[in-house]
Amino acid sequence: MNHPDHPELAEAFNKDFERTTWHDETLWFVRQKRDKAVYPVPEFQDLRTLASEIKDHTLSNLDNYLIEFEENATKNGVKVHWAADATEHNQIVMEIIKNSCKVEGRNARLVKSKSMLTEECHLNGFLEKNNIDVVDTDLGERIVQFRNEPPSHIVLPAIHLKKEDVGETFHKHLGTTKGEKDPQILTEAARQHLRGKFVATDVALTGINFAIAETGSFVVCTNEGNADLGVNLAKVHIACMGIEKIIPKLHHLSVYTRLLARSATGQPVTTYTSHFTKPVKGKEMHIVIVDNGRTQQLGREDFRSSLKCIRCGACMNTCPVYRRSGGHSYDFTVPGPIGAILSPNIDLHKHKSLPFASTLCGSCSDVCPVKIDIHVQLYKWRQIVGQANELPAAKKWAMKGMAKVLSMPKVYNLSGKLARGALRILPHGLTHNQSMNPWAKARELPDAPKQSFKEWYEENRK
Amino acid sequence: MFSCSKFHFEGGLGIYLSQKRKMTSREKILASIASNKPTLVTLPNVPIFEGDGSIERFKTVLEGIGGTAVELTTKAECQEAIDKYYHDLVNVASDIVKANVAVNLDTTKEILEQVDLAVIQGEIGVAENGTVWVPESNMLNRALPFITQHLVLVLDKNNIVANMQQAYDKLEDIGNYGVFIAGPSKTADIEQSLVIGAHGARSMMVLIY
Repeated sequence: MNHPDHPELAEAFNKDFERTTWHDETLWFVRQKRDKAVYPVPEFQDLRTLASEIKDHTLSNLDNYLIEFEENATKNGVKVHWAADATEHNQIVMEIIKNSCKVEGRNARLVKSKSMLTEECHLNGFLEKNNIDVVDTDLGERIVQFRNEPPSHIVLPAIHLKKEDVGETFHKHLGTTKGEKDPQILTEAARQHLRGKFVATDVALTGINFAIAETGSFVVCTNEGNADLGVNLAKVHIACMGIEKIIPKLHHLSVYTRLLARSATGQPVTTYTSHFTKPVKGKEMHIVIVDNGRTQQLGREDFRSSLKCIRCGACMNTCPVYRRSGGHSYDFTVPGPIGAILSPNIDLHKHKSLPFASTLCGSCSDVCPVKIDIHVQLYKWRQIVGQANELPAAKKWAMKGMAKVLSMPKVYNLSGKLARGALRILPHGLTHNQSMNPWAKARELPDAPKQSFKEWYEENRK
Repeated sequence: MFSCSKFHFEGGLGIYLSQKRKMTSREKILASIASNKPTLVTLPNVPIFEGDGSIERFKTVLEGIGGTAVELTTKAECQEAIDKYYHDLVNVASDIVKANVAVNLDTTKEILEQVDLAVIQGEIGVAENGTVWVPESNMLNRALPFITQHLVLVLDKNNIVANMQQAYDKLEDIGNYGVFIAGPSKTADIEQSLVIGAHGARSMMVLIY
């Protein structure tokens, strides 16, 4: 099946140069906020090392920690479910909702706070097909839900939208004044609208930022208060997590809570860092533990450390390619650099262009709070894409041609001479023709020197 | 009758065998992890980092994240502070100052929705990020700190620490539910414009005694 790859989608995004530049500047602004928050913390690099090593250890003992977590959570009266894949996850969530809500004459109601895992599993669509009303309560998520599009960033779901776009969406769905674009007024409208949803809900679903094996507790980090408002008013709390969200002990949270918000948004901490251990008497708490390809990634020596990801989004904010192509160009729930090393594990063919959506500048690895060697993994995935014969034909044959030329010095020298001559003689329109020379799309070739370096050296230094 | 019981026996055996062969997802996942995980890596020790745990730092950071900090001499002065800063708010829930809305575990959503101001006890303040630990036992009702329009936390100045390592070290038990609350609710989801007061409290004050 043919579907658009990153270069194609990025080209469409780049058609609006001004908007692309606005998107670029907005994300870079977030990167700068991160720096302002990080630099004053003298032990920040030590925290990164600790965070990385704790996760490395956890992954090497993951099964035992999951068992410990389940045991403790169960002792606390929390029901623990296991889902091998997205389909099973969705089925489990639906059954929990249906079994706990005996409603007459209307659909069961669910409010959700942000969970990239449930986006990955395409939960919303499945629930709606099964007569469950789903309301995403994170402001950015609600906006994209209204617009029927996926989030474009894992922390800032609506970062690709301008306030005018949000104004339009709210005018359509919430009845705000046409043309209203003041974020204060729009947020107030969303507050009132969602308050009603929180109060009327049957079930609330959250993600899990960190699951603590030692106590069977889990932690949810938010700024808006939507997660806690939802779960504390509902009868049933469903919390979904990937297997890699486990950390061994409570005090390890001290490391991650100092890194997460600083890396993600430049805040010293999220407004709410909620620790859930036991449900209120008479209410239900469920945890759904999901694999969906993660154990497969765990088995890949070069790529298993990508499972350390705490979903902060710092890599996206700094990546020049993400900033100038937007999250939707990646066509994967988690976009950007981390998405490009997670997605080929899920579907190498579909996501073969993603490891190439990079200049390998390494900025992502610089900012990653858990020290994932993202740019190294991007390079390694490229090798696998090549070996699996998934390179686009033009690139494959160009690389093979290059390899041949580079291995034959006489051919190399002659090609160089001809190229220099051509650049000097041929008209600009021909040498920089964008369909014949895609490299020239946004670049000028340098002036052709009279001699190659080799020729100069032989004349002057030998 | 003989053939009937033979059928039951073989049918029963078939069911038993097929159930035995089929692994639960839990078993599948744990087995997959066991076969895919790397050799054991050492767990590092997390030191209790030092830092500035002063009231001044706490106040500065809290104000930077949209909260307000007011220093009192004694806890008894809380009532005065509430009267001064929130005299125009009608429905108050609290176990520290005068309240006219009774809130407990059984309070209905309809009543909770009406609360304008909640004044409750915070246990630990963290200077590096302005956050305050509020355990369930202080909340009156789990929904209260989030559904109230305005939130005030009351904090003993001797319980202010420098950073999260010190905070988790001081925290003996996280109970059934507890939240670190840092300032008022907020969002920047609309074109990175910061808006204070998203779904949770519109404003947040810490009274430090």
